[in-house]
Amino acid sequence: PCLSPSSSTGALAQWVLVELQGEVEPRQSGDLAGSLLGDLHYTREGVPVLIVGHHILYGKVVQLEKPFAVLVKEGGAPQPSPGGPHSCYTVTALIKTKLLFKTRPKPIITHVPKKV
Amino acid sequence: AAMRSRAEVDATLQTAKLNPAELLPAVHCLSFGPQAGGGEGKNTYLLLCWFFFSSLVIRGEKDEHAVLCSKDKTYDMKIADTSNMLLFVPGCKTPEELNADPASCNIIHSQIAGFSNNYWELRRCRPKLKKLRKLLMEDPYEGPDSQKDQTSTFSKYTTEDLLSLVQASEEEILHQLQVIDACKIEGYWRILGFEYEMKLLNHVTQLIDSESWPLSKVPLCACLEELGSLEPREMIEHILLSYGRKYVDDAGEVFFEMREDKICRAIAEMLLQNAVKFNLSDFEEVWQQSVPEGMKTRLDQLKGLALVDKTSRPETILLLKVEDLPEDNQERFNSLFGIRQKWTEVDITPYIQDLCAEKQTVGALLTKYARSSMLNGVKVYNSRRPIS
Repeated sequence: PCLSPSSSTGALAQWVLVELQGEVEPRQSGDLAGSLLGDLHYTREGVPVLIVGHHILYGKVVQLEKPFAVLVKEGGAPQPSPGGPHSCYTVTALIKTKLLFKTRPKPIITHVPKKV
Repeated sequence: AAMRSRAEVDATLQTAKLNPAELLPAVHCLSFGPQAGGGEGKNTYLLLCWFFFSSLVIRGEKDEHAVLCSKDKTYDMKIADTSNMLLFVPGCKTPEELNADPASCNIIHSQIAGFSNNYWELRRCRPKLKKLRKLLMEDPYEGPDSQKDQTSTFSKYTTEDLLSLVQASEEEILHQLQVIDACKIEGYWRILGFEYEMKLLNHVTQLIDSESWPLSKVPLCACLEELGSLEPREMIEHILLSYGRKYVDDAGEVFFEMREDKICRAIAEMLLQNAVKFNLSDFEEVWQQSVPEGMKTRLDQLKGLALVDKTSRPETILLLKVEDLPEDNQERFNSLFGIRQKWTEVDITPYIQDLCAEKQTVGALLTKYARSSMLNGVKVYNSRRPIS
């Protein structure tokens, strides 16, 4: 088992964590890959606003006390635990900031179409 | 999927009844990257609560809990579930970053690399080193004359083998190899069989005696010369390194200051092996006679090796090696309380000292795993649970 730093250039990429309540499911029963999640805006005060489908979520920017490292294991069948004689993880990025969306999503109410 | 355009973003804002004037101009359009979602052939992501940056290894065989090892420390990995969804987004900018760079792109198409509903936390733990000794004891080295080595079918272990089998950091493993006096023979780490080790030690102590060398100044060269015909030179040097402190004098010659405590302790072990229990005073007499001229035996040299019973008449002593006891805390205490119901802190400390985590005291361990009471004015500890 091994875990190695991602690149020889030294500095790790900085990613951001987006924390949402509930689960993420694809709209169609297909793969999630490639599908849109939504638009992420920030107010001028720096409040993150996420529009997902018919919902608006308001969140806040949180600096993590203890950063996260994102480890990735290339391809292959997923293993239930990180152990095992052949698990090899690469440190791929560091996360110091998260966008926490805890508030209940506000549904977007579109205009009710007029009856024809 | 087609990338969203500015027009589409603005249309969504309008539908959502959000005022663009109140928002920063840049928008991140989030979509799931090709690897997100897991499954066959996709990457597996793991979020790890991190507080240092260096190369790491995750170790653990199928039936062992995974531990993470830095170059010199070992950590337990604990999973923390969260009811929330954690998405990791490369290249996502914070409001500060956007404000700091006014020329930043108006639409940022960000791909979510992966997501998880749990993350892992690290907690510093004791390295699991008992296995190291166990592996090396599978095939102890009994000397060049032993037939065993030629015909041995047992596994022999290189440093790399040990690194992949033992749940500890490299430094912790190398340090422990030194502590247990392991040596490299033909590229493999070996531990000496006790009999052979005592044979080598005896050669050296007899030579010291016949040459009347001071115990603090035993010359390496002379030892190799005199004993080289009896044993391999590497073994002679190894035993000197194990039982002495190496130094070089002003003339550049190598000497050893023999370690009295360690030698007395080894000889005690040799004596105690021969029976289950000994009469304490008989033992002390024989022991003092058995050690090299000029060395003084003391019972405190036997901490973690032998247990004295001062309550029996006559007083007795028996062999009890801490390295033969279980590594797990609860199992260790169960084992100790099975051997003796009530322990004083002085008696039990050598047998639980190695369980202390970083900054943990023996007292803290006793509070957690034992119950205290007074016996004849002395504080004693016994098991928290009934012993069958």
